[in-house]
Amino acid sequence: MLDIITKNDFSVKPAPVSVELQQEIEQFYFWEAKLMGDRNWESWFTLMSKEIEYWAPIRTTRIMRETEKEYTDKNGFAHFFDDWNMLEGRIRKIMSDVGWSENPASRLRHIVSNVLIWKGAEEGEYDVSTSVITYRNRQERQADIFSAERQDKIRRVDDERGFEVVKRKILLDQSTVLSNNISFFF
Amino acid sequence: MTNAPHTASSKTYTDEDIKNLVDTKTGKYSPEIYTSEELYQLELEKIFARTWICVGHESQLPNYGDFQSAYIGEDPVVVVRQKDNSIRVFLNQCRHRGMRICRVDAGNARAFTCPYHGWAYDSAGNLVSVPMETEAFNDALKKDEWGPKQARVETYKGLIFANWDESAPDLDTYLGDAKFYMDTMLDRVEGGTEVIEGIQKWVIPANWKFAAEQFGSDAYHAGTTSHISGIMAGVPAGTDLSQVQPPTDGLNVYIGNGHACGLFLRNPMFYQVIVGPAVTEYLTQTSYPEAVERIGKERADINLCHMNVFPNLSFLTGINTVRMWQPRGPHEMEIWSFTLVDKKAPDAIKQEWSRNNVRTFSAGGVFEQDDGENWNDIQHVLRGHVAKQQKFNIEMSDHTVRDAEPGYPGKSFADTYGEEAARNIYAHWARMLTTSDFSFLDSVPTLKAAE
Repeated sequence: MLDIITKNDFSVKPAPVSVELQQEIEQFYFWEAKLMGDRNWESWFTLMSKEIEYWAPIRTTRIMRETEKEYTDKNGFAHFFDDWNMLEGRIRKIMSDVGWSENPASRLRHIVSNVLIWKGAEEGEYDVSTSVITYRNRQERQADIFSAERQDKIRRVDDERGFEVVKRKILLDQSTVLSNNISFFF
Repeated sequence: MTNAPHTASSKTYTDEDIKNLVDTKTGKYSPEIYTSEELYQLELEKIFARTWICVGHESQLPNYGDFQSAYIGEDPVVVVRQKDNSIRVFLNQCRHRGMRICRVDAGNARAFTCPYHGWAYDSAGNLVSVPMETEAFNDALKKDEWGPKQARVETYKGLIFANWDESAPDLDTYLGDAKFYMDTMLDRVEGGTEVIEGIQKWVIPANWKFAAEQFGSDAYHAGTTSHISGIMAGVPAGTDLSQVQPPTDGLNVYIGNGHACGLFLRNPMFYQVIVGPAVTEYLTQTSYPEAVERIGKERADINLCHMNVFPNLSFLTGINTVRMWQPRGPHEMEIWSFTLVDKKAPDAIKQEWSRNNVRTFSAGGVFEQDDGENWNDIQHVLRGHVAKQQKFNIEMSDHTVRDAEPGYPGKSFADTYGEEAARNIYAHWARMLTTSDFSFLDSVPTLKAAE
């Protein structure tokens, strides 16, 4: 059973990394979360690489022996499956005066934790697993809570961003999304 | 005849009361249809338990034993592929003490075993095993009488429908002229369609009819305010948005039997905003000649048809989103949505189709996320005692209504931005709630096209 669940790149315990690297990467994620909470979506988007693959497969309820089918694959449907251009369109929508799902805007908070770091294939690349609790509150009394694991590939860049996100896979802890929409990002 | 009261509500609707909720002559209707618990219980009984409800697509169940969970109204069902390749739909309820016998979304199984006391049903829904049958029942339990309730099952070009009512007309009669419009998505090319795997499900705190009627009749919100930002998200930065507005060339169609649709004609530019350039090219060039040959130019030129098959199955052809608006009380619905693609389309086109669907018409879609905002705010306002007394307006396009349109079947037509279909959807809804037989359904002539 377990070998089915653990058959992915993020399944083996990571080798220790330096405290400095751990701190540097955590700070990157904390800053990213702050940009989202501050609705500074244009700055947030600069943290995404031009090669970004931003993907949130759909999660289903499965019997134990079919656990490997719990998530849709890349040929399947998804909550997000964007490249840079698609994401850029979303950013323009979310920032526009007529994007009603975010005007008036949601109040968002991303709590990022459980930061696990694996050295990537290339120098300066890292695979990072983070756990995220996202609280979204909007209008008079709408409140949504999302919980997810994010599996990222990030790359060190030589500017003030520090890193950029090359891939993000968002594994939501919901099968039926208990919200009226997903008009923000994880 | 008066409907029996279904709840302890202070109001008990007579048939006359229900008919008076919708006035198609003046185009006024009461929003009580979205809020009344009593009317909601009547809907479950008179609409969902006796019409053809979509429970999926055949390509979701390719092999013997493949199953998925679905709903007919609030009744959970299991949809199972049989050994002889037929499909069965039965209530997801153990006949012993009512426990859910299938507790997952989908899978493959030869048997469904109730986790409570272990009654086991085969994939056809026959009760085949009862623990301690001799010791506990003295072998006297008539197992053949204790299978879960079975629904009638029929399919139309891949879509699976189920109906509890033995007296309801068959699916072909029920769909009637709706098939003509459904074919613009289901039958464009040889081989038909298949599902992109995965059903996205989400919850909107609003009555299911907001969604069903909007997909059936409301091009107005797309052409005006609601989706400007969705259009913006689909074009390069700095594009002149006046060049990509939804067209005015189209129709608002009341098809009959509660089914309705709206068409945008000949506007590939708007297509591009939704399905993206690669799928636009596939639809308007690569596969276009075959589509013209199969379904004719009138339908091959429909660049987006929004449609609702009564009561709760909607499509947007072109982007090919299919959704079931699952009722969850008067104040809430679940949306179950999946994507269809032409089976013979190249893999890269299929993936691009799916990705653009995710981008536009999904819980996070740049179009759909604004729909969720409108419906739930309306529902919230309707908590008000006074707000519930205000009649809503569906008088639009009265001046363009005609009862025929060359090349397009249906009961009545209006121009693109119309509410002729909405008026008839709600009138049909009222008839369904107040009539016990099916004599009022439209008898529909056999389709000429697509043969």
